[in-house]
Amino acid sequence: MKPVMVVHGGAWAIPDAFAEASVAGVKAAARAGNAVLKIGGSALDAVEAAVRIMEDDPVFDAGHGAVLNTDGEVELDAIIMEGKTLAAGAVSSVRNIANPVSLARAVMEKTPHVMLTDRGANQFAESIGISMLPTDALVTEEERREWEHCKKYVVGVKELFNSQWGHDTVGAVALDSMGNVACATSTGGIRNKMVGRVGDSPIIGSGGYADNKSGAVSCTGHGESILKVTLARLILFHMDQGRTASEAAEHSLQYMGERVQGGGGVIVVSPTGDWTATFTTERMAWAAVDEDVLSYGLNPKDKFTETVN
Amino acid sequence: MLPVVVVHGGAGHIPKDRAELSCAGVREAARGGYAVFKTGGSAMDAVVEAVTIMENNPAYNAGRGSVLNVKGGVEMDALVMDGRTLASGAVSAVRRVANPIQLARMVMEKTSHLCLTAEGASQFARAMGVPEVEEESLITDYSRMRWKKNLHPDANPVESQMGKMGTVGAVAVDAEGNVACATSTGGMINKMEGRVGDTPCVGCGGYADNQTGAVSPTGHGEAIMKVTLSRLILFHMEQGKSPEEASDMALTYMKERVSGLGGVVVVDPKGTWAARFSSLQMSWAAAQQGQLHYGLYHGEDFTEPI
Repeated sequence: MKPVMVVHGGAWAIPDAFAEASVAGVKAAARAGNAVLKIGGSALDAVEAAVRIMEDDPVFDAGHGAVLNTDGEVELDAIIMEGKTLAAGAVSSVRNIANPVSLARAVMEKTPHVMLTDRGANQFAESIGISMLPTDALVTEEERREWEHCKKYVVGVKELFNSQWGHDTVGAVALDSMGNVACATSTGGIRNKMVGRVGDSPIIGSGGYADNKSGAVSCTGHGESILKVTLARLILFHMDQGRTASEAAEHSLQYMGERVQGGGGVIVVSPTGDWTATFTTERMAWAAVDEDVLSYGLNPKDKFTETVN
Repeated sequence: MLPVVVVHGGAGHIPKDRAELSCAGVREAARGGYAVFKTGGSAMDAVVEAVTIMENNPAYNAGRGSVLNVKGGVEMDALVMDGRTLASGAVSAVRRVANPIQLARMVMEKTSHLCLTAEGASQFARAMGVPEVEEESLITDYSRMRWKKNLHPDANPVESQMGKMGTVGAVAVDAEGNVACATSTGGMINKMEGRVGDTPCVGCGGYADNQTGAVSPTGHGEAIMKVTLSRLILFHMEQGKSPEEASDMALTYMKERVSGLGGVVVVDPKGTWAARFSSLQMSWAAAQQGQLHYGLYHGEDFTEPI
């Protein structure tokens, strides 16, 4: 089986000022994930590695660089899932953790549960020796300024999302040489969200899903809309019925737009290596590695390529 | 055929003395939900009323009577969904509210969000003027006894949870053909603090879509999540399966793929309903056309006039 790695850095109207850094960030993440697959690593290891790179990159709304809630604090959501056994792990509204995706993986591997939230998630992190960061460590100056600007105006989440304001959940899907698929998604959510707001990212079937029988998906976009249509699972149901990754993604995003007026983007890989990066927002930063070719894009119909080496 | 409301009081294996309480409670909840239609209430009003009745009944693992987490505290999850617009509201790991299902409905109706968790959900409850109750008022002697019993190092919380799960839920279709679902739970006995199960996750702990139907499940939460049970059943119905066929297919799949047991109540927009389970028992009741149907073991369908 030829391995495939696909990542996204969020679907929204990415301003030109962030464009270059976003594209560089997803390319670096795709390369890192691909490097894991190249040495025989699992799809699960690959998606975790790729998402960690983007969590550490302050240009993305995940880990370092996450948006602030209405109290000016960072609360993070993440999910990871592997397609062989349907095992999954998730955290919601966790604080002071640099890499929520790795904490989600620990929930999957070290507890009998799938999801831990809020203080309970932090207590678990502490119990397994994941260090807590000082409260401001994940906050960038840029985000603090944006948040202060945002606080001056009372606007709903949907208005926020449809404007130029930041929303760049990150995610990855992979297929490894053993034919296993996996997905991971991580986010700081929506700027100025209510304390304790949980979006689609940590919810299984919405923010992501992975099943060796159908494929793996990671979603980004308007979280509440993604939840209402359980977007990740919907795409895989379409693939179960014989649609290609790209047809299933387009069909499902179109449905989400029509039924609940939500925009978003997805990355998908099938168990045979058919993959896509599809979005209905203005832009989505994405990158993929398939047979040593790195493809990437930002605007609709973009597909630039270069060799990995 | 319309309107109809179907409720469950949890799938599992219930001791005999508890079983009688559980069977009486689901009948009361189905009657309560059905009565809402008489006064012009919607499917959403009916499912919230039915679940509120069961949250207030200490026989169930929801609201008062919830199981305790490993630290002896009560953290509850709840979800509602409206099939007209796919609007949905959820709370996870919320403490010190009597009726999480009503708080979930407020998240749907009064915020731009879909799910609020833990302390944030409590803050929202305070902002909405929802009274904060003493944690002690949600705890029963029975839940405390089971918590203590399961603190022993050789106890197996997963196994004991299979013994009595007790999540509650309801699905309904109103006279206009709108469907809705509601599910509420205290979760898994002796769960880790902050554990969130299937209940507040859209597509797992419930789903409602006027184009297909509505589902509320109960059972092993982590297994339900892995197969997104509610959405899976509705996908089978979209492919032409009846509520009963779709439920049986999905429950069989859950058992084979992730070794999980559970049960579901399901309706389609025409009012065809099913109450199916792979566990030994599930207490359920359905109210339709002036008749109350109910049962606990496989194959049971007792009826009495409402």
